[in-house]
Amino acid sequence: MQKVGIVGYYQVKLYSDANYGRYEMIFEAVRGALDKAGLKKKDITTVISCTNDYYDGRTISNSFAVEAGGAYLADESKVEMDGAHALLYGMMRILSGNHKLAVIWAGSMASCFPYHSARLFETDPTWERPTAYVNDITALGFQMRAYMNKFGVSAEEIAGIAVKNRKNASKNPLALKEAQNPNLTVKDVLNSETYADPVRELMVAQPCDGVAALLLAPEKQALKITDKPVWITGVGYNQDAYYLGDRNLAESKSMELASKMAYKTAGIKDPLKEIDIAEIFESAAHEELILKEALGLTDKGEGPSLNSEINGEFPINPSGGAIGGNPPCGTGLIRIIEATKQIRGEANGYQVKNVNKAIASGQIGMCAQNNIIYILEGGN
Amino acid sequence: MTEKIVVANKGLIKADFAFWVGRYMDKLFDAFENKKIVGNKCPKCGDVFVPPRKICGKCNVTIPFDQNWVNLPNTGTLKNYTITYYKINDRTSRKVKKHQTIGMVQIDGSNTSIIYRLLNMEPEEVKVGMKLKILWEEKTRGAPSDIKGFVKF
Repeated sequence: MQKVGIVGYYQVKLYSDANYGRYEMIFEAVRGALDKAGLKKKDITTVISCTNDYYDGRTISNSFAVEAGGAYLADESKVEMDGAHALLYGMMRILSGNHKLAVIWAGSMASCFPYHSARLFETDPTWERPTAYVNDITALGFQMRAYMNKFGVSAEEIAGIAVKNRKNASKNPLALKEAQNPNLTVKDVLNSETYADPVRELMVAQPCDGVAALLLAPEKQALKITDKPVWITGVGYNQDAYYLGDRNLAESKSMELASKMAYKTAGIKDPLKEIDIAEIFESAAHEELILKEALGLTDKGEGPSLNSEINGEFPINPSGGAIGGNPPCGTGLIRIIEATKQIRGEANGYQVKNVNKAIASGQIGMCAQNNIIYILEGGN
Repeated sequence: MTEKIVVANKGLIKADFAFWVGRYMDKLFDAFENKKIVGNKCPKCGDVFVPPRKICGKCNVTIPFDQNWVNLPNTGTLKNYTITYYKINDRTSRKVKKHQTIGMVQIDGSNTSIIYRLLNMEPEEVKVGMKLKILWEEKTRGAPSDIKGFVKF
């Protein structure tokens, strides 16, 4: 695969109820990424945005963001999935050979709408929507129980992931304040409010306000723009069935297949040995374990036994992950930015030592129905 | 800091959306009206689907409308469940006094699970693998809500 480089990024601070609007947030992220990379509006040749009409409260939700997102009279298009999927589109635009600089931005403001109720609108309008038993939270309840029942993983072990990610988030100045907690215990997590048993409040990646932007360039341009490019050496994506009742929720077959595709492109044979860290989009604590296992980092049901603290054997979500803040549409792109920071040595306060190869993943749909994973590598 | 000014757009226009359920789902809802369940069977892999569908995703084949229908019993097995105190279909996700136990139930003779409430049982009585039967609404109208929930069998 021809080399595509990440040459810049910017993420706004995440808030549960930001005191500024979408336009400002989008502008801050896109302009911030350009400024940091020493680039101008005229350098942009294509813009890919990622928002959601329902979450933005308007149809054609990219139309309002043209000016703020650097797309005024530019080649522009939108992906209505996760920011990590928008990156795939941006990468394809670069690989077409027609573009020198792609801006990818993604995010939303969950403070403006009832996020969990809105997720009911993902269900089949002729079947599950009228009875209203399924939204993202009850789906997570099913997924966590399926995982625990199949592999005998305990609620304590799962709560441990929430403790780790909230502790990591406390070292990340851009994480959601409400998610940061350096002193949280497993007991605190288990005693927090029951959302959908066995899922507790502190296990959930809370939707919030935020936007992130990332810059992509083909190899030649990338080397001109920065002396620290991060290369996308592999990508894989896969989609599971629609109805929850059709799926095996204890595992993630789609992530398993997506990672195989990405490893193959990147020439990875043993991810645990060859890759240094992972930034995974986990909608809740148990999902980090399911996805970790699907990535082939441990056997099925063995996720908790691999130490994934910042200084552990294989660090996962040193930034705090999605539990550290989950702006709808933006979360997957933030994972890619966080993995990029680790490779560039720019994760101040939560930097893992000697990171050269990283996994970053995004997802969309109930119980991570659709997964997308990237292999990122440093070096000129 | 000045107070945040918000513009709430509530009901400026009413734009309800009418979905046609399609022939396959229509047949299921007709059965519901008579307090019965039907599924359909993939001609290739043999999986029996509830709700019935035109396409088997795994095999990528059509299940013809005039064949492969399977009459199924009102009983099933609990495959998974969750208990929530939140109202799902609510603008502000309000808490409710009485919890809802929501189960994934595999109707006997089918290969997929459907999601409904578990009724007349305490949370500690709920066990994955338990046998259940459908509790129908007294008056059915050919809709998903005709199944009031599942009770112990």
